[in-house]
Parts: sequence; C-alpha cells; structure tokens
Amino acid sequence: MAEISSDLVVESFKLTKIYQNRQIAINDINLKLEPGTVLGLLGQNGAGKTTLLRLILGLHRPTAGWVKVFGKYMGPNAAALRCRIGYIPTNPQFPKGMTPIVYLDYMARLFGLPAEVRKPRLATLIRAVDLLSASGDHIENFSNGMIARLAVATSLINEPDLLIWDEPTLGLDPEARRSMLELIKTLAHDKTLIIASHNLSDIDEVCNHAAVLSHGHLIYFGSLQDLKGRMKRNHYEFDLEGDQKAITKAMTALKNMTDFKLVNLRQRRLELRMSEDVNNTNALANVFMTLADNKVTVISIRSVGMQTEAAFLDLVEEEESRGFARAYKAAA
Amino acid sequence: MTRFIFLLPPSSLDMDATITAAPPRVRINRLLPYWAVFQNDFKATFNSWLYRGWVVLSVAVVLGSLLYRFGAKQVSGMIQGAPETAGELLHWVIYGGVTLVIALTAGAICAERGSVADSVLSRGISRYQYFLGKWHSRLTLVLLTYFVQSILAIVGAYYMLHSEALTIHGSLVAMMVVASMLVFVITFAVSVSAVSSNTLVSIAVVWMTLYGGGFLLTQLPGSVPSPERALQNLPNVLKGLYDWNALSRTMLLSLGVSAGTALIGMFCFSRKDV
Repeated sequence: MAEISSDLVVESFKLTKIYQNRQIAINDINLKLEPGTVLGLLGQNGAGKTTLLRLILGLHRPTAGWVKVFGKYMGPNAAALRCRIGYIPTNPQFPKGMTPIVYLDYMARLFGLPAEVRKPRLATLIRAVDLLSASGDHIENFSNGMIARLAVATSLINEPDLLIWDEPTLGLDPEARRSMLELIKTLAHDKTLIIASHNLSDIDEVCNHAAVLSHGHLIYFGSLQDLKGRMKRNHYEFDLEGDQKAITKAMTALKNMTDFKLVNLRQRRLELRMSEDVNNTNALANVFMTLADNKVTVISIRSVGMQTEAAFLDLVEEEESRGFARAYKAAA
Repeated sequence: MTRFIFLLPPSSLDMDATITAAPPRVRINRLLPYWAVFQNDFKATFNSWLYRGWVVLSVAVVLGSLLYRFGAKQVSGMIQGAPETAGELLHWVIYGGVTLVIALTAGAICAERGSVADSVLSRGISRYQYFLGKWHSRLTLVLLTYFVQSILAIVGAYYMLHSEALTIHGSLVAMMVVASMLVFVITFAVSVSAVSSNTLVSIAVVWMTLYGGGFLLTQLPGSVPSPERALQNLPNVLKGLYDWNALSRTMLLSLGVSAGTALIGMFCFSRKDV
C-alpha cells in the first residue's frame, strides 16, 4: 500500500454526506486508492454510489470529512484536479442542437485545451469510437450505444489519469457491452479507474478491487479476490470419461455420502453441491477416490456460480443482519 | 460493428506523430472554460424561443405604438411628442419586457442542474468561471438587444413624430438609466438561479422581489433613488432636462448593488451541490 498520501489517486477520510438534514447518503467512508487500481463500486439502488462519485468529483460538498484527489483536497472550485479526471455520468445528458464535433470541442475547451491540441484529439477520438459517419448529426437523434461511445470519447478528451465511470454498460446491447469491457481492460494498463455498476459480472471481469456500499456505509473495501475468497466454494462440475455403467455406479456411491446436498449427472457431466458444514477438501478427496475406485477419469473440474454476486449478497445480508450491533462496532 | 479502435495500443493507430510521440506538456488556457460557457450560453439563449418571443413582442410594441401615435397625429392631429412616446416605450421595457427578461435569465443556471450542468461542471472549470460565463452571456445578449430596441424606438419616434425636443445626449443618458436597471434585474435573476433548484421558483422569487421592492422604493422619500421616479422622469431626460449628478448616482447605485448581488450569488453557488 502506498504510505505517502500524495501517492494516492483518491483518498477519503470520514467522508459523510447528509442532504438537507433529511437523508444520510454517505456515512463515514475511508478510502485509499493507489495508482493502477480498477475499483468496482458495488451497492444496491440508493446505496450511495453516485453520491460518492460526485463527492470525489467535487460536484457535491461533503457534510463532514474530506476527499483528496492526487493528494489535494477536492472541492467545487478544484478545476485543476478535475483536468486529470474523465467522468461519465449514469445517463449522460447533452445540450440540444449539438453535433459530436461541437460537443467534444466544447468539452475540450472546458478543460482549457488550446485549438492546436483539442482539434486533432477530438478527431482521433471520434474516429476511435466509431462515430465518424455520425459526426455531423445532432446528438439528440443518437441511439443509446452511440451516446455511450460519445460519453467515452468525452471522458478521454483530456487524457485523464483517473477515470470515473458511473454505470458505463447501462442500456448497451451485448456487443457494445463487450466492447466497453474490453476498452476498460485496455485503459486499466495505465490509468486508475472507478467503475460503479449493478452488473456484478462486469465488475468481476474488469476490476481488481471492490468497494461495497450498503445504505451509505462502506462494508467492504479491498481486492476483488479477497471478496470472492469470502465465499465458500461448494458447487462443482466434473467432466468425466469412462464406461457409462462405471460413471453411474460412482454417482450412486456419491449419492450415498452425506457430504453432498446435490448429486446430478447429465450425460458425462457430474454436478455436485456440498452441504454447508462440510470441509470441501475432504469432500473432494472422497469424490476423487470414489471415481478412481470405479475407474472413471476426470477430464476437467470447475467451481460453479457467480462468486462475486454471491459474495456481494452475502456481505449485504451480513451487514443487515447485524442490526444495532453495527453501532457497537463503530463505537468500539 | 461497434468497437473502440483505441483498444489497440496508440502506436497501431495512425495518429499524428504529435500524439504517438512522448506527449508534450499541454499549455492550458485558464480563460478558455469561461469563454466556452459564455459562447455556448449566448448561442443557446439567442436560439431559444423565449428570446425570440421577447424580441418579436418588443418590436411589435415599438412599431405598434409608433404607428398608433403617427396615425393619431395624421388623422386627428393628436400630437404626442417624440420624448414622451420614446419615454413610454423605454418605460415598457422595464414594466412589460422585464417579465420576459426575468424568464430569460432566472433559469440560467438552475435549469441545467441535474442534467447538462453535470457534464460541464465535472470538467476543468471552476464554479466561479461557470457563474461568470453564464452571467456575462445573458447580460451581453439582453443589453445588446435592449440597445437595438431602444435605438429603434427613439429613431422611429424622432422621424415619425418630427419632434425637435428629442436630444441625442438625452437619449443616450435615458438609455443608460434603463440599462443600469436591466443590469440589476439580470444580475439578480442569474444570482437567484444559482442558488435555486427550480426554474419556476426562481422566476417567481425574482418577479416578486423586483416588483415588490420597486413598489416599496416608491413609498420612500423623494431623496431616495427609485426606479419608478427615474422612469417617470425619462421624457425630460430625453429632452436633455436632467440632473446628471442625481442620475449618475442612481446608475452607480444600481451597478454597485448588481456587483454585490453577483458576488453573493457566485459565493453561494461555489458552495452548493449540483
């Protein structure tokens, strides 16, 4: 971990946002984001994801606590800091009557980029996001996919070091979504990214860190691997090879064991779900021994299930089940 | 097929050498964000239906009024001098046209809140620059339009009503008096817009404050500068019969209060969530 505060891309301390003394949107959030991190921001609707992003961008002012970006305090007038950030809001809105060229030029001028820099850059970006043929059309006639691509181009016009993308794959068709995820992976090579999304498989694919928000409270912040590691792996699939009778016999033997809640055979694919209290190493050893006894060969084995999703739901459930105990922990 | 070509490393894109080579340090123009907001807002306001409606209505009022006076003079010999007619028209700018000016300016900032403002304020622009860009663009557009309308009204009155009483210096001073009041109206409306979250509320607040405040000022002793008294005196000003010290004091007061209002609006906006 970066020890020096100025090395961090984003740092927050006791960050709290209360709207008009009516709604607690964000509560006591401490974050430290190192360069090169691809952070997946997870949370249910109203968990505070967008509020957190807006606080990092200086669009909102914290009620308490602070947020630093590139080692400096972020606020509504920290224009120089925002020059190093590329932002895509949840539903990007565009002024009426503008074409992509006019809009990108406007956005680039908002970063103070002189004409000799912004003109070649916007031309490159329009070509890159495949909007060349629509570059003279009005944006209000664009499809969701085209708007998403224009939003991507806008967020990259200032060649930012930090990208903050709120629901970047929302409303995209599978092909555009795939393209967006590939783009995120490419950008992750030399940029720091914060991606807020409801789509856990997207987060799973592109992020290396995760932050989970629940009712404005940060209930997890760390590596995605550690988050997934919280979940006990208890659901496996085996692809088998051998005599069908031997496979059936092995399955019967496995069904008689108490370690498994589910034993299912479809053609030569064996699906096993272990009981909650079972040590999965021992159970798997028993499976291998049973298969070996019946001269059945294992071609492949894989753990099944949306681990990130399961881990996320598990975290939220655990947080909610703690009830008032949350307060005791905070006090301690 | 939809794809992002820049998924490829930069070297594989046939970009300009200036982009693929080690990037030179970009010289940031600090005034450009302000200028971008100013230009964009000026253009958007100029193209808005509200602005067009205001211009059409004002021109119609000026032409209608002049033609009526001209017709009355020709047919029945009823003569109203050019200073009185021009004074009436300038009076209309404040009491009639100002409602549309308020509608045009009181949504300058709050109308974009939660939509386009996000896209703009999340870039390299400070709140001060954004406020100043919006304020100055509306100020410039409304004042330019007002001067064109006023010149049209005064020149039209002069030629159609053939009054020798109208003076050039008096006309300029009269236009400046009304312009200084408009500066305050626009500044106050943009400032309220900066702290408000709703355009309708903003318009209502500005409308009630200005008309209510104007009425209260008329109730104060004659030594206190009041918009109503200044407007009542416009025909005399147009004839060149005015007290420059008193008028300059009124104008300076209006500009000073405008500057103060803008500072408060800008300060509040710089501390507000968008």
